[in-house]
Amino acid sequence: MTIIEKIFTRASHMDVKPGDYIWADLSLVAMRDFGGPNVIQEYESNLGAASVFDRRRVAITFDLHVPARSEKVAVNQKMLRDFANRQGVMLFDVNTGVGQHILLENGMVRPWDIIVGTDSHMNLLGAVGAAGFGMGTTDIAGAMFKGKLWFRVPETIKVTVSGNFKTHVGAKDLILHILKDLTTSGALNRAIEFTGQTIRAMDLAERITLCSMVTEMSGDVGFVVPDQHIIDFIKSRTDGPVEPVYPDKNVVYASNHEYTVDDLTPQIACPHSPDNVKEVAAVAGTKVDQVFIGSCTNGRYEDLEVVARFLKGKRIKAGVRLIIVPATMEVAKAAVESGLHELFLASGAVVTNPGCALCTTGHPGILAPGEVMLSTSNRNFVGKLGKGAEVYLASPITAAATALTGEITDPRSI
Amino acid sequence: MIIKGRVWKFGDDIDTDQIYPGKYLPLTDKQEMARHAMEGTNRGDEFISSVKNGDIIVAGSNFGCGSSREHAPVAIKGIGVSVVIAESFARIFHRNCVNTGLPILVLPETERVRDGDIIEVDVVKGTIKNETTTEELQAVTLSKLELQIMRAGGLLAYLKSAH
Ligand code: SF4
Repeated sequence: MTIIEKIFTRASHMDVKPGDYIWADLSLVAMRDFGGPNVIQEYESNLGAASVFDRRRVAITFDLHVPARSEKVAVNQKMLRDFANRQGVMLFDVNTGVGQHILLENGMVRPWDIIVGTDSHMNLLGAVGAAGFGMGTTDIAGAMFKGKLWFRVPETIKVTVSGNFKTHVGAKDLILHILKDLTTSGALNRAIEFTGQTIRAMDLAERITLCSMVTEMSGDVGFVVPDQHIIDFIKSRTDGPVEPVYPDKNVVYASNHEYTVDDLTPQIACPHSPDNVKEVAAVAGTKVDQVFIGSCTNGRYEDLEVVARFLKGKRIKAGVRLIIVPATMEVAKAAVESGLHELFLASGAVVTNPGCALCTTGHPGILAPGEVMLSTSNRNFVGKLGKGAEVYLASPITAAATALTGEITDPRSI
Repeated sequence: MIIKGRVWKFGDDIDTDQIYPGKYLPLTDKQEMARHAMEGTNRGDEFISSVKNGDIIVAGSNFGCGSSREHAPVAIKGIGVSVVIAESFARIFHRNCVNTGLPILVLPETERVRDGDIIEVDVVKGTIKNETTTEELQAVTLSKLELQIMRAGGLLAYLKSAH
């Protein structure tokens, strides 16, 4: 069996195969300040004051419009706080950060877990071997009520990566390269297992980058089998047992894809699709107005560290806005303590409170029509950051290099 | 469940923003929402002004990709569309259809159905009779489990009654 088949077999109490429709027990149900209020309306208008299935396994996270940027958002956030009080479920307020990362940092995600939530990028939890699914309002309301949901067991694609990255090339360049190859519909109704020597060498932040962008390939979930350092991370945050899920040796995958990274160059997704990927060198020189470093894909401490090494002692180009947003408060505090925060400010960056930030509209920093932004986030659809704006997606280091010159820059050229 | 209606054809990768533009997300009244179904597509105005109760959408691959908004199936159902047939559906959209009670079918050869054709669809069996071309086609139906949810009136009704 593949990883997802094993997870679904355990959670449905029956042997499953791809294509089966099953009911599976959930480990955790999450919702956020965006989408969450609709879930509560749906829940209460259909189920009234019925208790949730298990209040210790429902979490509300605030990450999109934090702190509230309008009265409407404030009302929505209050609705969530009131619901949390009434039902006694967990709530992570505006001082915490991106939901999935909060769940990870708080020891609420382990291999074998099935976790559903209102964000489309729940599948980044595959970075520790858990199955995360983004879902709609009715699904999350139902999940909260019964602690189980229906699923179609997906076929699995195997992606094997070997080789060593050149300087200034990494996980984001790799996943953009894979996206170009598999396209935005390439993993539709599929799970992905990432494996191979290059993947095994990746730290948690890199694995998150990889798994988060399974969404952009329309995949259900993406997994990396946890290695010892990942198991140690989970164990340091939770008391329970931590048991990785391994795929069986004799598995037949829906398809096999092999990549080597020895010659991979910095990659960039051009407007307006995440699979419109080119070498950074091919679009170098394109003027940008703003650079955003953060999001669930590239907002961890390791990402910020790479950026800091690049910005150290330098000033960003006059006229360019550099906005850096740590994924969580834990990351933000670490960045303050280690001096990264000070270094960012000295370089001319704006550093804001943790959250999803400029992944989408809703956060300060939206673009004017015709403006161009380079972002470390995961999507660049038309209108996602303001009507008529253009968004490029690249790695944190390409973003840092671009902020220094004011035009899209191959970090190897600096 | 047998349905007969006129076909409205759409292309590949019709995302949820084309099905239900983001600017209408604040609307909560289902009838109001329905008035914007498919508005963001290249034939949105034509569709909204002349679609009839029971009409059928036939689209290409990855229908409903993009965001997880449930307004998309709710608006399509609200404007009177009886079933959506596509080469493939995005996962979350597919789920939302089942959970909110909009029938869908997967048909690999949607090119056999043309815009304006009158077709008769058996949603449970997956058979499609094209009255205009007299051709018969076989679609992939929803699973038994999904049909149970639909018949119960959606996910929450099902969960309330079944377990
Ligand atoms: S950063 Fe964007 S994709 Fe990631 S969790 Fe936040 S809103 Fe979702």
